[in-house]
Amino acid sequence: MTEFCQFVLIGLVTGSLYALIALGYTMVYGIIELINFAHGDLFMLGSFLALQLVITIGVAATPGSAPAPPAPSTGAAVLAIGLMLVAAPVFCAALNAVVDRAVYKPVRAAPKLAAIVSAIGVSFIFMNMGLFWFGPVDLNFPSLVPNTNLLDGTDLRFTYKDLMVVVVTIPAMVLLTFFVRYTTLGKAMRAAAQDPTAARLMGIDVDRVISATFAIGGALAGVASVVYGLYFNTVGYQMGFQNGVYAFTAAVLGGIGNIPGAVLGGIVIGLVRALGSKYAGEEWSEALIFAILIIILLFRPTGILGARTREKV
Amino acid sequence: MTPRGVLGHWPWAALVVFCAVPFIPGTQAAIYGQQFLPLFIYAVLALGLNAVVGYTGLFHLGIAAFFGIGAYVTGILTVPQFPFQQSFLVAVIFSALAAAAVGVLTTAPTLRLRGDYLALVTMGFGLIAVFVIRNLENITAGTKGLNPVSPHLLPGIDDPNLGALRVRPGWGATWRAYPYFYYLSLVVLVLTYLFLGWVERSRLGRAWVALREDELAAACMGLSPARLKLSAIALGAGLAGLAGALYAVSQRTTAGPQAYDFNRSMTAICCVILGGLGNRPGVLLGVFLLIGYDQVLTPILDNEFQKDWYQQLFPEHMRGKQYLKVSGWRLVIFGAALIIMMRFRPEGLLPEARRKLELEAGDGDGEIR
Amino acid sequence: MPRTGSARGQTDTIFNGIKMAIEEYGGQIAGMKIVYLDWDDADASSQSWTSELEKANATKAIADPDVVAYIGPYNSGAAKVSMPLLNEEGLLQVSPAVTHTGLTKKVPGGDPTEPGVYRPSGKVTFGRVCPADDTQGPLAADFAKDELKAKTVFVMDDKELYGQGVAGLFERRCKELGLDILGHESINVKQNEFGALMTTVKGKNPDVVYFGGTTQSKGGQIAKDMKNVGLTCPLVVPDGCYELAFITSAGEENLKNCYVTMGGIDPSKLTGSGAEFVKKYKEKFGNDPEAYAVYGYEAAKVVLEAIKKVGKKDRAEILKTTLATKDFDKGALGKWGFDENGDTTLQNMTISKVEGGKFKPVKIVDRK
Repeated sequence: MTEFCQFVLIGLVTGSLYALIALGYTMVYGIIELINFAHGDLFMLGSFLALQLVITIGVAATPGSAPAPPAPSTGAAVLAIGLMLVAAPVFCAALNAVVDRAVYKPVRAAPKLAAIVSAIGVSFIFMNMGLFWFGPVDLNFPSLVPNTNLLDGTDLRFTYKDLMVVVVTIPAMVLLTFFVRYTTLGKAMRAAAQDPTAARLMGIDVDRVISATFAIGGALAGVASVVYGLYFNTVGYQMGFQNGVYAFTAAVLGGIGNIPGAVLGGIVIGLVRALGSKYAGEEWSEALIFAILIIILLFRPTGILGARTREKV
Repeated sequence: MTPRGVLGHWPWAALVVFCAVPFIPGTQAAIYGQQFLPLFIYAVLALGLNAVVGYTGLFHLGIAAFFGIGAYVTGILTVPQFPFQQSFLVAVIFSALAAAAVGVLTTAPTLRLRGDYLALVTMGFGLIAVFVIRNLENITAGTKGLNPVSPHLLPGIDDPNLGALRVRPGWGATWRAYPYFYYLSLVVLVLTYLFLGWVERSRLGRAWVALREDELAAACMGLSPARLKLSAIALGAGLAGLAGALYAVSQRTTAGPQAYDFNRSMTAICCVILGGLGNRPGVLLGVFLLIGYDQVLTPILDNEFQKDWYQQLFPEHMRGKQYLKVSGWRLVIFGAALIIMMRFRPEGLLPEARRKLELEAGDGDGEIR
Repeated sequence: MPRTGSARGQTDTIFNGIKMAIEEYGGQIAGMKIVYLDWDDADASSQSWTSELEKANATKAIADPDVVAYIGPYNSGAAKVSMPLLNEEGLLQVSPAVTHTGLTKKVPGGDPTEPGVYRPSGKVTFGRVCPADDTQGPLAADFAKDELKAKTVFVMDDKELYGQGVAGLFERRCKELGLDILGHESINVKQNEFGALMTTVKGKNPDVVYFGGTTQSKGGQIAKDMKNVGLTCPLVVPDGCYELAFITSAGEENLKNCYVTMGGIDPSKLTGSGAEFVKKYKEKFGNDPEAYAVYGYEAAKVVLEAIKKVGKKDRAEILKTTLATKDFDKGALGKWGFDENGDTTLQNMTISKVEGGKFKPVKIVDRK
């Protein structure tokens, strides 16, 4: 039983990380019905910026040069984490908003396929940028959060690292929900999502609202990228695809466009991955995720929490 | 015929050129001539995908799975580890049928999904297929791939020794060697192309387009959406399986599961979209441009660019770096091509006439669902 | 060889080794110009070798009558693609780094069709200058028992030809030695983290964890996730991780308790002509050679010596002469030759730890 609880715990922690990335998908989809294929790669670039930052301030070594610097003091580590948590979201938000203006806005009137294909194109370009930035090798991300067990004495393991994920992701999700529900911009977003034309008639600058959505989605990806780096301690230019697929799956599983749904979807994926590795074997755990996705969609074609929309004729 | 009409027949001009390539004298021609082979195989795959995405409008992101099924069925039927030892002809037929069957079986339950959900399910299917290939080691040999895939051409007949026909250096002695397999693949491509042309004009092809344009209206006219979608998938998957069989024989191995991952589906989709959804010459053009760039031009340029005259144009510390190679820019070029196309010519380089009219009329209803 | 992607650091140095060998002959033997063409078998999107490109390289080499030898590839999986093609045409292939055992000889309990399937012409056309995994895997098991005092081991692999092969050989030897195998799991290399898997491993409490895989198949992440879940036993990995990129990706602080094995001898421990080679390499390229540089040099050297002996552009003659090489001592590795399977007669292995951002050999084993 303890063992089962341990795996549930792992699943919950990694799942909330996937959920954080999934939120960016879901928000953008909710408003312009675009599957933003580039989101995972944006997340990757965010983590690269964070890594670049810790290298610049001397907390981590330049890749390839040896030996590694001594472990930073607690103060330096806290400072570095704080810096990253500001810089990466800002960078990702700005980049995402710029891409929206430059790439997606001009094709907004065209069929939906045009935007999706453009997103695939952006994803390719981001990936290539990552490749030029740090090269093809996986990189070590410094372990700034201690790895001590908080539940010492029990058979469970819950470290500061796990705590960090929870402490960052849950407030981020709560804030986002409040933001979308109660602020003016949040209301404008929902209005634009429901009916862009009507929203425009009501005096909402829909393009600005869409840009803001991209920026917020990007900022969430930035936060997620820092937490991811600190938690798993590896970043590489290819990590965007895998995490993007998980996050996208999470968003669809929960009902794409639905914020609580994305969180739920992320957690389901984390749990399936952890428990699948334990009980079905590591090599099948990922196939299991997609199998469950397909099964759920067969019975609830719009996801777990997705609204059943009637088709427009 | 108008000049435009003449240009419209460029695929046939290309065919003549491709037929002539093995006869070009010089060793370099033989070395580079066989690099065209992947183009033909990809073209069959992309034409199959086009039947699903282009004609019928089902955004399928897992076509590589059918390609893989074709390759592995061919592998299983021909490698020495298994007792079948079938000829190429038998293997190809079974590959196409198996892929089509899997296509129908996996699509049938998902028919009520729409748009992005369908895209996701097909992507999930494609990813699962890779895991299945990877993990069923007793059948697929895991990541090792089944090899050697070197079947006889026809059942019950020994392969002729074609060494006597060698008129140019670089020609092989068996039917699996260049240029015989090259011609065989080219013939398969031409037949596929002609067959799809016939399908396009048939009742079925027109029904698919009707379904793509407006499913509800098509259903009201008495067409069965379910049956139409399944027939499109069967055709597309079958062609992908056929391409997979050619691929396995051309590689002499089924390669590993990574050869059938999301990347290949994506590349095929890009070819179809870039060239022109629903239009056969467009799809061919897309394949020739993208795959030709990727698999023919890039290695040639990279080979040239690693030489000193080029590397010495740059300061010492930059030499040998990724960004001095053409292949280093591959994703940027692909990405930029897609974005620019979508911005200025969303209907593709050679659009289908019907789709073009729609887009020019500014009517957004012809979208893929 | 993959000249794109993360194996690049290693292949660069092999390339340099080959270049040095060619330069020693002034790029010319018996009036023939020797040119080495660098053909990449990896593409940018997958960042590892692809069977398409490896096949294209092999067919290009076959079609070009000026090519008399094919040096490569780097990956065992790629060798499976190019070997039958080159074999059919009787073109000599010498690999500096391919270690999968089944390519040259039967493995007990392995695939029964090996190595015959790679030799459609029935003749041996492939040679390698590095010891195969049947040296490395079993010796690593001996090391785990004798030096690490292990009684229980957990085995993992990356499901690739090379990783699975070497992990299987390790496991087999462990059983012979009476070590307890607590489990054997394969990872999916596309996965980014293995927290759940390592927790499972931790629950079994092994004395040693063995991972049969490479840097590219997440060797570094395994080391980190072990640490993250609080698993403190030693990790042993094979020579697929014997490259600086492994340290870069794992982070030195996570490799305190990690042993890397390598078939052959680490450059820093070479003596005589080997030490000479390392010195020259450092002078020329300004950095330490990676583990396989010397094998690149050796592979080129043995081929070039054969070409010199034959003295003309004759594929069949060069093939015969090269693979008949016995007691070869013109290279950097000491005296060795090819056996009847095309394997090197050298049978030694280095076990290293990571210190100061570099591999530091702790033990050299010779199997006689």
